[in-house]
Amino acid sequence: MASASVYAPAGFDFSNQVRNQFLQEKGLPLPKATSTGTTIVGCLFKDGIILGADTRATEGPIVADKNCEKIHFITESIRCCGAGTAADTEFTTALISSNMALHELSTGRKPRVVTAMTMLKQMLFRYQGHVGAALVLGGVDSTGAHLFTIHPHGSTDKLPYVTMGSGSLAAMAVFESAWKPNMTREEALALVSDAIFAGIFNDLGSGSNVDACVITASHTEMLRNYVKPNERVEKEQKYKFRRGTTAWKKESIRDLVVSEEVRPLGGAQAEAMDTS
Amino acid sequence: MEPSLRLAPSPNAKAASVQDTSNSLGLHDTLQYGPRSIATEVKTVSPIRQRLENWEQTQDNLKLTVQRNVYGLHAPVRLLMERKIVSSMAQMPTLPQSNLHLDILMGRDETLCTGDFFGGVEMRTPQSIHQEMERKYRV
Repeated sequence: MASASVYAPAGFDFSNQVRNQFLQEKGLPLPKATSTGTTIVGCLFKDGIILGADTRATEGPIVADKNCEKIHFITESIRCCGAGTAADTEFTTALISSNMALHELSTGRKPRVVTAMTMLKQMLFRYQGHVGAALVLGGVDSTGAHLFTIHPHGSTDKLPYVTMGSGSLAAMAVFESAWKPNMTREEALALVSDAIFAGIFNDLGSGSNVDACVITASHTEMLRNYVKPNERVEKEQKYKFRRGTTAWKKESIRDLVVSEEVRPLGGAQAEAMDTS
Repeated sequence: MEPSLRLAPSPNAKAASVQDTSNSLGLHDTLQYGPRSIATEVKTVSPIRQRLENWEQTQDNLKLTVQRNVYGLHAPVRLLMERKIVSSMAQMPTLPQSNLHLDILMGRDETLCTGDFFGGVEMRTPQSIHQEMERKYRV
């Protein structure tokens, strides 16, 4: 009798691999994953961290979602922006968020940003870059405010201001010219908005609105759709036809409910549902 | 597995086997996978698959090797004995598998990984008990 392995299964099923390889050779194109194109930024200011992101999700040249949320929840005072394959970033951050919650219950301490960073980098390294998630992780814990980037292959950087995604060069240009240490909240929010604008207006993979998240030691504030520079203009005229524009000849109304009978089920005395 | 201090599984795996595409008779299943070709079998060895499937085992082997070097042979032997005792009771293949004691011994009782929610019995197409048993004992 073969003994079962004590190790947890890898989770991913490779049994279709031979078939997929065969089909690909015959010319069948692989399905395209929704990517987040994207501009995500993070910056350190006097009281903590501000994270910013645009809200466009693309599928090749098509905009798949005009208002998607790229700032994911890890713990109460730690958030993570995700660029790359949308499913990968959402799934990875959700998994790490669950693991952080379990870890917090196990240790009994407020969770730290380095813990989330280590969990993320170890997982991404194990998948050798096949999980396409480029992340900006920031938060405030008992040791202070920290900001990290995590690349899809598992390398990390600890920096005072970071940008990731296809619009990262545009956003980084803004940061490099205007960032200074110990900014106030208003200055930092304005800088982050400017950096995301640079990405939205100069990069095709980023667009729509600006999301921001301000994390301080006392509380976290999620500013969803902080600025909306791409609102659709309202049409100037009304294009409806007035009633009676088309002549009609015959009217027939059919009642869909012909007859209705209520029969209570569930034994001789039908008990009323307990809705208290 | 022989004692080794590797951190990650080695990239050169053994050669691809016919087991992937075999039907119940043990031969290549042409109906499902197309004609058999050596090129397919050699090319479709995915390095990521081999790495993911052997990851936990390699890490575990490292820990056991270090314990053997530091404390002596008895340390890993006792741990392996405990695991074997705990996984001795076989479970019904059609129901979701769960072995809490083994999870505690392997140190994964307080973490979640992809294997916990992908690839389980619930995800597969519902098969009869005979097919499930066949799948289990082919391991």
